[in-house]
Amino acid sequence: MPHLAVNDVRAKYGSLEVLKGITFSIEKGEIAALVGPSGSGKSTVLRALMGLTPITGGAVDIAGETMNYSSAKEVRAARDRMAVVFQQYNLFQNMTVMQNLTLAPLKIKKWDKSEVMSEARRLLGLVGLSDKAEAYSDQLSGGQQQRVALARALALKPQILLLDEVTSALDPELVNEVLDAIRKLADEGMTMVIVSHEMAFVREVADKVVFMDAGQIIEAGTPAELFDTPKTDRARDFFSKILRH
Amino acid sequence: MDYNFQFGVVWDNFPALLEGAWLTFQLGCIAFGGGALIGLICAALKTYGPWAIRFLVDSYVVFITNTPALIQIYFLYFGLPEVGLRWSNEACLLIGLTLNAGAYLTLILRAGFLSVRITEIEAGQTLGMSLIQQVRYIIIPHIAKSIYPALANFFIVVLVMGTSVGALIGVDELTGQAINLSSVNYRWLEYFTVVAGMYVVLTFVASIGLALLGRWAFRVKARIF
Ligand SMILES: Nc1ncnc2c1ncn2[C@@H]1O[C@H](COP(=O)(O)OP(=O)(O)OP(=O)(O)O)[C@@H](O)[C@H]1O
Ligand SMILES: [Mg+2]
Repeated sequence: MPHLAVNDVRAKYGSLEVLKGITFSIEKGEIAALVGPSGSGKSTVLRALMGLTPITGGAVDIAGETMNYSSAKEVRAARDRMAVVFQQYNLFQNMTVMQNLTLAPLKIKKWDKSEVMSEARRLLGLVGLSDKAEAYSDQLSGGQQQRVALARALALKPQILLLDEVTSALDPELVNEVLDAIRKLADEGMTMVIVSHEMAFVREVADKVVFMDAGQIIEAGTPAELFDTPKTDRARDFFSKILRH
Repeated sequence: MDYNFQFGVVWDNFPALLEGAWLTFQLGCIAFGGGALIGLICAALKTYGPWAIRFLVDSYVVFITNTPALIQIYFLYFGLPEVGLRWSNEACLLIGLTLNAGAYLTLILRAGFLSVRITEIEAGQTLGMSLIQQVRYIIIPHIAKSIYPALANFFIVVLVMGTSVGALIGVDELTGQAINLSSVNYRWLEYFTVVAGMYVVLTFVASIGLALLGRWAFRVKARIF
């Protein structure tokens, strides 16, 4: 049974259909990478999974449980099981790093305080920011903010983690900081869907690459299959351009 | 100019002036607090409510901000008794000032609502926050911080300009007290010199209090001087 199965998911912005039936699945502990040209709908897939962009058709299975986000309850259930980190670090500006990490576990989940605090400290260690617990986001570099956002997502103990171009707003020197943190999660067996332009990184960590264009999946397979022997012209075209760099 | 200043009578009546200042301070705080609550609710309704509610909020704001506070308070004090609604002069002042502050604070707070970053709201949603939790944990702290200087300035406006309208309907706040006392012995110049000084001290103390509150609660680096 797949850990996450996306079945013919459709989404619209107004009258523009941005997802025209997206289908893919991953097993527990696997990493799927969504790649494709700008505007192809990669972010929208993650937004739809998190219930931020309403889906107009299809359904999502998480560990065998089917949901189509038609009720607030199902949206909440999806948000319970998955966490997302977006490209723009959207930390709460008025809170410290520690408050960012512990707000949802304490106030929304109402988990035990001492456990939440010690888990938050463990996660800050994981992303290499143990010394920044009391800093505010405007006192952190971009890479540090992005790692805090990652730790905040993990603090809710998601089963599945969604990452949307978490390195693209960063200076090249900072990219590795964030990629290292993601590698550690991959080693721990976290199921992930990542959107990334870092093809070398995708080849290294992804079990499956899903190539999208214009709201559709054109081709999916292992990194080697897509990068080295793409079957479709569009995939060949895209990867030959992007891998040349 | 050979005016002979005689501050003696002013000092004799200083306790009465202090009472007036204290009433001014209380009126300012209550009107601002009540206005802030009205403003917060109206700004939220204006942002999230259906069109009919938004229209009501707009009407309230336009009606209040486009008419003088004095007229609004006269309306309550002199107008409403004509239809059988009679409140004390202090109640009329307080209700009038609160409604007046509420309209201006709706505008100020609305700007705060609009300046909340959508990405921060979405982060809250994906962490499982309900609308109320988003308002409480993201929007209010953000508003408080981003428009704190505007709020603090407006508090001074209510405290100094708003409350002094009370003198015209016989409320013994600082200005009213000064008019009462000086019309007994005609020491206008002395009284109003002292009262002006008291207003300056009052706003100065309020500004320091607000700046410290801002630093402590919202990390606003407000300048005190
Ligand atoms: N809020 C919105 N309103 C209307 N259209 C939108 C909105 N957000 C995205 N779109 C459109 O939806 C389509 C898919 O956008 P999406 O952000 O999912 O692309 P993407 O693959 O993530 O692109 P990029 O690589 O540039 O991030 C695009 O055509 C975009 O213009
Ligand atoms: Mg995108």
